[in-house]
Amino acid sequence: MPNEEEATPPDRTPTLTLSDPERKVLEALQAAPDVLQEETIVAERTNLAPDAARGSLERLRSKRLAIVEEESWTERSLTRRGQEARGHGLPERRFLAALERRGGTMTTEELGTEGLSGEEQAAAIGYLRRHGYLAEGIPFRWAASHPPIASELPEERLLELVATGAPEIDSALFDQLLRRGLVGAERHRLRRWLPSPEGRSLLLPVPGQPLVGALTSALLASGDWAQVSFRPYDVRAQAPYIQGARPHPYLAWLEEVEEILIGLGFEEAEGPLLETEFWNSDVLYMPQEHPARSVHDMFYADVPPGAALPEPLLDRVAAAHEGRPMPGESLPISPGWRAAYARDQARRPVLRSQTTAVSARFLARQPEPPFRVFCIGRNFRPDAVDVRHHIEFDQCEGILGSEGVTLRHLVGVFQSFAEALGIRELKIRPSYFPFTEPSIEGHVRHPQLGWMEVFPGGLLRPEVLRPLGIRVPVAAWGIGITRLALVSLGFNDIRDLFLDDHERLSGRPG
Amino acid sequence: MPQSNLSANRVLDLLPQKPSRAALEEAIFRSKAELASWEADTLSLEVTPDRLDLLSEGGLGLYLQGALGLRSGPVPPASTPAPLENPRAVVDASVRPLRPYFAGAILSAPAGVALDAGLLAEAIRFQELLHATFGWDRRAASLGLYPLERLRAPIRYALEPMANVRFVPLDGAGEVGADRFFQEHPLARRYAPLGRTGDHCLTLRDSDQQILSLPPVLNSRTAGEARIGDRELLLESTGTREARVAESVGLLLLPFVARGWSVRPLPVEYPERVDSGVSWISARSMSLSMATLRDIGGQVFGAADIEGWLAQARLGVAATEDGWQVEVPPWRPDLQTPVDLAEEVLLARGIDPQEALLPPSSTRGQRTPEGRFRRKVRELLRGLGYVELRTPALVAQRYATLLGRGEAIAVTNPVSEMYSRMRDQLQLSLVGVLERNVRHAYPQRFADVGPVVVLDRTAESGGRTRWHAGAVIAHEGAGFADAAALVDYVAGAFGALGVRAPVEFPGTIAGRGARLQIAGDRVAEMGEFSPALLSALRVPVPVAWAEIDLTALWPLVSREETP
Repeated sequence: MPNEEEATPPDRTPTLTLSDPERKVLEALQAAPDVLQEETIVAERTNLAPDAARGSLERLRSKRLAIVEEESWTERSLTRRGQEARGHGLPERRFLAALERRGGTMTTEELGTEGLSGEEQAAAIGYLRRHGYLAEGIPFRWAASHPPIASELPEERLLELVATGAPEIDSALFDQLLRRGLVGAERHRLRRWLPSPEGRSLLLPVPGQPLVGALTSALLASGDWAQVSFRPYDVRAQAPYIQGARPHPYLAWLEEVEEILIGLGFEEAEGPLLETEFWNSDVLYMPQEHPARSVHDMFYADVPPGAALPEPLLDRVAAAHEGRPMPGESLPISPGWRAAYARDQARRPVLRSQTTAVSARFLARQPEPPFRVFCIGRNFRPDAVDVRHHIEFDQCEGILGSEGVTLRHLVGVFQSFAEALGIRELKIRPSYFPFTEPSIEGHVRHPQLGWMEVFPGGLLRPEVLRPLGIRVPVAAWGIGITRLALVSLGFNDIRDLFLDDHERLSGRPG
Repeated sequence: MPQSNLSANRVLDLLPQKPSRAALEEAIFRSKAELASWEADTLSLEVTPDRLDLLSEGGLGLYLQGALGLRSGPVPPASTPAPLENPRAVVDASVRPLRPYFAGAILSAPAGVALDAGLLAEAIRFQELLHATFGWDRRAASLGLYPLERLRAPIRYALEPMANVRFVPLDGAGEVGADRFFQEHPLARRYAPLGRTGDHCLTLRDSDQQILSLPPVLNSRTAGEARIGDRELLLESTGTREARVAESVGLLLLPFVARGWSVRPLPVEYPERVDSGVSWISARSMSLSMATLRDIGGQVFGAADIEGWLAQARLGVAATEDGWQVEVPPWRPDLQTPVDLAEEVLLARGIDPQEALLPPSSTRGQRTPEGRFRRKVRELLRGLGYVELRTPALVAQRYATLLGRGEAIAVTNPVSEMYSRMRDQLQLSLVGVLERNVRHAYPQRFADVGPVVVLDRTAESGGRTRWHAGAVIAHEGAGFADAAALVDYVAGAFGALGVRAPVEFPGTIAGRGARLQIAGDRVAEMGEFSPALLSALRVPVPVAWAEIDLTALWPLVSREETP
C-alpha cells in the first residue's frame, strides 16, 4: 500500500483536507442534503459536543462545502412592573383618576395617599406635564387648556399589544416603555445548515482508508487505487497559469490580406532585405541623384563587396537612364535623366526601401505572361521613431502583366480589393511615382474614418519594362498596408505592429 | 511631397470668373496637387514631385483656367517686343569642373506694367521652392533674377580668385570680401561646396565688373537685386545637371508668363559653342498616337474629345495622320514621352472607377512553397504554446555585443543605436524581447519566424536574406534540453533527423551550446544563455534558446512538406 507521503501530488493544486469531525459533520449533512439542519440536531447525529459540531460546520463553510441559513427574531414581553401597570393602571392613569376625583386640584400630601411610589409619582408628573395635562406648580391642578382625558393612553394600548403578542407595534413608544422598565425584548437566533453543491457531491474517504494526493502509474498498475481515498482538491483555488499561444495580431491580419490577394489570382513573391541600389532604385528608373536616394531616405550598409551585377541588364538600365539607345537598338526609350549613369553607385548595398524591388527582380526573370504577383515585405527608411513613423515598415504591392492590361484593369484590382475589405466607394485621382506613368491613387471611403488614400498604382514606365525585357504592359499597385492595419487592429501607435508584450500577446488575464 | 503656401487671391485673380469654393476644391482634387487647407488668403498645397508648376500661383492659375473650362489651349504667346539690343551671357571655361551649366532668359513686363510686390514675392518664393526641390538643394540647379535695366551686358559666369571678389550681399549692410563671406554667412557656409573650390569661387558679373551674384549662394544687393518697378529682368540658372538647369528656367517663367510678361532668349557663349537660348523658353513638339492612348487608357475616345482635353491641359494640339502633335510649354518638364502625354489626357478627362475592368486573363494565386513551409513552422510553434512575435529586423548594437555577433551587418547611417545592426540571428531580437518583459510573470516562451541577413560574398549586395525560426524559453526550470527538444520536434515534424554537436557560443554557458547538422548542413543552433548575459538583461530565470535556419532546412524537407 502506498503511504500518504509517497502519494503527495507532484502538481501545485491545493489539496482539500478534512478533519475527522468535519468529515462526520459533512456526512451528516450529505445524509439529508435538502433539509436544513439545526446545529443541535447535527451535534446529536454526529455525537459531537455542540461546540465541536458548530466549529466543524464553520470550517466546512470556510471550505465552501456547507451553507448556513440564519434566522433571527425578537421576543417582546411585559416585565413584572409592566404586568402590575396592566393590572392596576399606569402611574399617569392613576394620577389622572385621583386629580379628577379630587375636583381638579391635589396637594402633595393628598398625592401621598394615592398609593403611588415616589418613582411612580415622578414618572406620572413628568408624563402629564409633557403632554399638557398638568399645570406647573403645587398644588397639582389641570392645565388651562388640557387635552381631553382619553379612555386609553397610547402607552396603555402598547402594554396591551405586547401582552397579547401582537406582531406590529410602535417601536419608538416600545423603546420609551423599555426605558421605564415596563417591557422587555429578547433576541433569538437560529442557524440551520445545508451542504453546498460542492459539499453535496464531494466523495468522502472511506473510514479507515488512507488519503492520497495523486493518482500514480504505480497505483494504477498495482490495483491499489481500490484501497485508497483521494484527497479532495480545493477546486476554487487559483489554477496554474497556462500561457496562450495566439497568432500575433499583425501577422494574423497580414495573412488575411494575403488570402484576399491569393483569391484575386496573385502569386506571392519574395526578395532580399539587403539590396543593391541597382535593384532598389535604378531598375525602377529612379534617377541616381534623386534626393530620395540620400542618406536621409535610405539606410546604407557596411558590407564587403558582393558578386557582380548582371552586366547585360546593367547596360540596358544605364542606357535608359542616360537616354541612349539600349545595346542592339537604334532609338532611345526616352530622353532619360540626361545625366551620366554611375555604375559604382549601382553596386552600393542598401536596406531595401521599397518592395517594388521585389517586383523588379521578378520581372527580370522574364516571366511568361499573364502573371500576377504580390509581395508583402519589410522596408527600411531613416526616420525618427514615433507614433506614426518607424524605421521599419511594410509595404504590400504587386504587379499584373498581360497583353492588353490597361489603367482600367488596375482600377479593377483596386475595386476588387476594396470590396474584399467591405469597402464599396472608390475614387481615383492623379499621383506620381518615378516608375509608373500614368500614376494614380485610389481613395476609399472607410465607414468610420471617411475618405482615405489607400491604393497607389500605375502602369510601369517603358524605361522600367524594356530594359527588363518585358514586352507586355504591366500594372503596378500598392496598398497602404500600415495605415489599414492600424485602423483594422484598432492600434493608435505604429510600434504596436511589433507588439512583444508577453501579457498582451498571451492573453493572460489581469 | 513638396509643399508650399500660396496666395488664394493671386490665384483667383488669374481666373476670368470666380468659381465656387467647392468647384475649386474639386478641380484641385483632380490634379496632382492636394489642398491641405485654405484659410483666408492662404492655400496650403502639396504636389507630386513632377508637378512643381502647380506650386506657383501662376501655374495653379493656368491649370484652373483649363480645369474649370474658363480658358483652354496654350498660354497666348507673348507679343514680340520691339527689337532691343539682345544681351548675352558668356560662360568661362573655368566653371566646368565645379558647376558647368548655365541657362537664362529675358523677361519684359507688358506695356504699362512693372514688377510689383506681389509678383516679386511670388517669384522669390517659387524660386526658393525650386532650389529645394527641383534643384536638389541647389546642387543640380539654382536660379537668380536680376534687374536688366541696371546691368551692362554681356554678363560673365566664371570661377575667379576669391581675393578679387568683393560685393554687398543681398541681406548685408556693407561690402565684404568673398573670403569673409564664405567664412561668416550662413548660406555661404552651407553652399560653399557648390560655389567655391579652394581659394576660388563662382561669380556672375556684368561688363562693368559689377557682381550680380555668387552662384549658387546669394545675389549682390547692388546690381543683383530685382526691385519693385523693374520692367526688364534677367533670369539665369546654373548647376551641375544640364537638363535641370534649362528646365528650372522654364519653370520660373511661370509667375511672369501667367501675367502677360514676354520672354526673349538669352544667348549663351560657351568657349566652344553658342547656345541661342531659344530651346529653354520655347514650347517643344511631341507626338501622341491614338494607339498609345488606347493601350494605356483601355478605351477609344473621340478625336475631338482628346483635343479638348489636351487644350484643357493648356497644351497646343494639332491633328496628324495617326494622332496629334502636341506643343508642351517649357514649364512642363514632366512631359517628356508619349506615355506622359497619354497620362495628361486621361487625367484631364478623369478616371471613373465605374469603368474598371477585371484583368484580361486568369491566373492562380498562391503562396511560395517556402512561404507555406514557414507558415507551418509558425503553426507548430504556436501549437507548442510559444507566444508569436514579429520583431524588427534592425537591432541594437548592444545586443550584438552581448551575444558576440560581430558579423551582424552594420548600418552606416543609423538613426539610433537601437536600430544600428541588421540581425543575422533572431536571437538578437529575442534577447530584447526578454529584456522588455522582465516585469511579467514566468514562464515565458517566445518564438519568431522572420528574416535575417548574413554576410555572403556570392550575393550582389554582399549579404543574403535567410529565414530563421527563433525561440526562447524562460522559466525556473528552463534548460538546454528544452531547446534541443524544440529543435528536434520541429525538424522531426518535417521528417528531418540530424546530429547534434557541441559548440561554444558567446553568451551561452560553456558546454551547453550545440549545433544540429543534417546531411552536412548547419540547420540549427541551441543553448542555454549565460548568467552574465541574463544579468545584463535583468532576466531573473534561466533561458534556453534555439535558432533554426529554415532556409537551410527547407531543401532538406521540401518533399516532406506536410508535418
